[in-house]
Amino acid sequence: MSLDIQNLHVKLGKKEIIHDLSLSMNTNQFVGIIGANGSGKSTLLKTIYKSLTPAKGRIYFDGLDILHTPAKKVSQKLGVVGQFNELSFDFTVFQMVLLGRTPHKKLLESDTKEDFAIVEQALAKMGLTSFKNESFLSLSGGEKQRVILARVLAKQPEFMILDEPTNHLDIRYQLEMMESVKKLGIGVLVALHDLQLAANYCDYLYAMKDGAIVAFGTPENLFTQDLIEDLYGIKCSIYKNPMTDKIAFHYYL
Amino acid sequence: MFSSKKWIQKSYYQIALTFFLVIFFVFSIVFSLGSGQAEISLIDVFQILLYKFSGGVLGNIADIEQAVVNIIWFVRTPRVLMSIFVGLGLATSGAIMQAVVQNPLADPYILGISSGASLGATFAIMIGFGSASIFSQLNLSLSAFIGALLATFCVLFLSNIGGRMTSTKLVLSGTIINSIFSSFSSLIIYLADDAEGIKSVTFWSMGSLASASWSKLPLLIVVTLVISVFFASQFRILNTMLLGDEAAVTLGISLGKYRRIYMIIASLLTGLIVANSGMIGFVGLIIPHIVRGIYGSDHKKLVPMCGFIGAFF
Repeated sequence: MSLDIQNLHVKLGKKEIIHDLSLSMNTNQFVGIIGANGSGKSTLLKTIYKSLTPAKGRIYFDGLDILHTPAKKVSQKLGVVGQFNELSFDFTVFQMVLLGRTPHKKLLESDTKEDFAIVEQALAKMGLTSFKNESFLSLSGGEKQRVILARVLAKQPEFMILDEPTNHLDIRYQLEMMESVKKLGIGVLVALHDLQLAANYCDYLYAMKDGAIVAFGTPENLFTQDLIEDLYGIKCSIYKNPMTDKIAFHYYL
Repeated sequence: MFSSKKWIQKSYYQIALTFFLVIFFVFSIVFSLGSGQAEISLIDVFQILLYKFSGGVLGNIADIEQAVVNIIWFVRTPRVLMSIFVGLGLATSGAIMQAVVQNPLADPYILGISSGASLGATFAIMIGFGSASIFSQLNLSLSAFIGALLATFCVLFLSNIGGRMTSTKLVLSGTIINSIFSSFSSLIIYLADDAEGIKSVTFWSMGSLASASWSKLPLLIVVTLVISVFFASQFRILNTMLLGDEAAVTLGISLGKYRRIYMIIASLLTGLIVANSGMIGFVGLIIPHIVRGIYGSDHKKLVPMCGFIGAFF
């Protein structure tokens, strides 16, 4: 399976956020997008999952023309974990995850035993079974994020998009979040701020700056001091951590 | 199906509560029919209802005074029925409005419906058809209804300016329209210089079921029921609506279209109710919250139960 984006232009108001972006990626792997705040990462992801409509361009997922397919059909295939988890009304965790079944349902169809089983599985996978009847709003940030991930799992997507999923999470939850996503074994496209996480978990990386892709490659090939200075405007030394044998970063101004 | 014991207990509790509510509901209907300025015994009430509904086949009203029969049948029964359906409609559209604007403070009047209806009513009372004939009664309702619709469309128009309709824009434009329309009402009242008219405007805006009659009921009942059933069937979309635009898109539902449809339908319902009974506050705001407290936010239960509990009031 693959995700192909051709000559994408996205405008927010009058400002062009993404300018003539094209990429073609294999969606059976863990792909990361890095870049500074305002570089267009979220905008790109939002356009892919149809929350924003681009001015020009085409997006194909597995041959499916996403921009001209109803949201319901797209959402059966794409799972999204975004940054929008605030609610004014409360749901229980179970109901919240059950909402993940929505795209597979007709308007008047009621939830079947199968749906409940899928939800139970998703909860178990995220270690949330004991939280099932808690209210969503009473949970901590990390737990909320896991509920959202469980909701995406309940959808049984073929491909997952995550927009800075580790925001507001402490170190343990950051690692747990990445581990559980990695373990799912489906393709993932994730926007990340933490370069260390990106280097550790991603198979392939795209670097964005000013609405365009400036570099791509495997973490080993992509990360250079010049690139990081170009993206974030900081100095950085990149070295192999002698303890873990993985890429490590040391930043300074 | 549900392995957790807590869940099972909770749903037993809900069933028991629902059962209790049904009994209480029936009892409160009979009680409110019997009590009032003229106390009428429950047995008589029962006999009269039985007689009237079965077309004279059942029940025995021979030894009950004709005046009592009239009070029950022509005054109190319509009022009770009206209050049931007004409550049902207000609570339902309150729940819908709260979902549509994603704001727990929303009520059926949020889109300026109340001030629109007031303006319509003020207009009707002050300018022209202020007399007490039946014709003017109808006109009062009609112009209140038109005012409500006018306000709703103004709000829709305002919130569509500058691209996508968001819930913030909806609330803001509702507030704006509200103040504009109520200042127009004030202007009319100020210029009118008509003490009797001012009194009736005030009376109207307090809300009352006193004007209930059999002739008004069928329209109200049919519309309220049809709209409530419609909303109860939309529980999936309403649920995702609570999550906000972004999350709803990722669940395959783009809200813009549904928001507009729901709002127009809920406004129709509210407009009709306001036209019939004036402004009755708090039911539309509070009932959905009470029901959420008991049954949770799932609209599958929320909408029917809102309607039901709303019907109490």
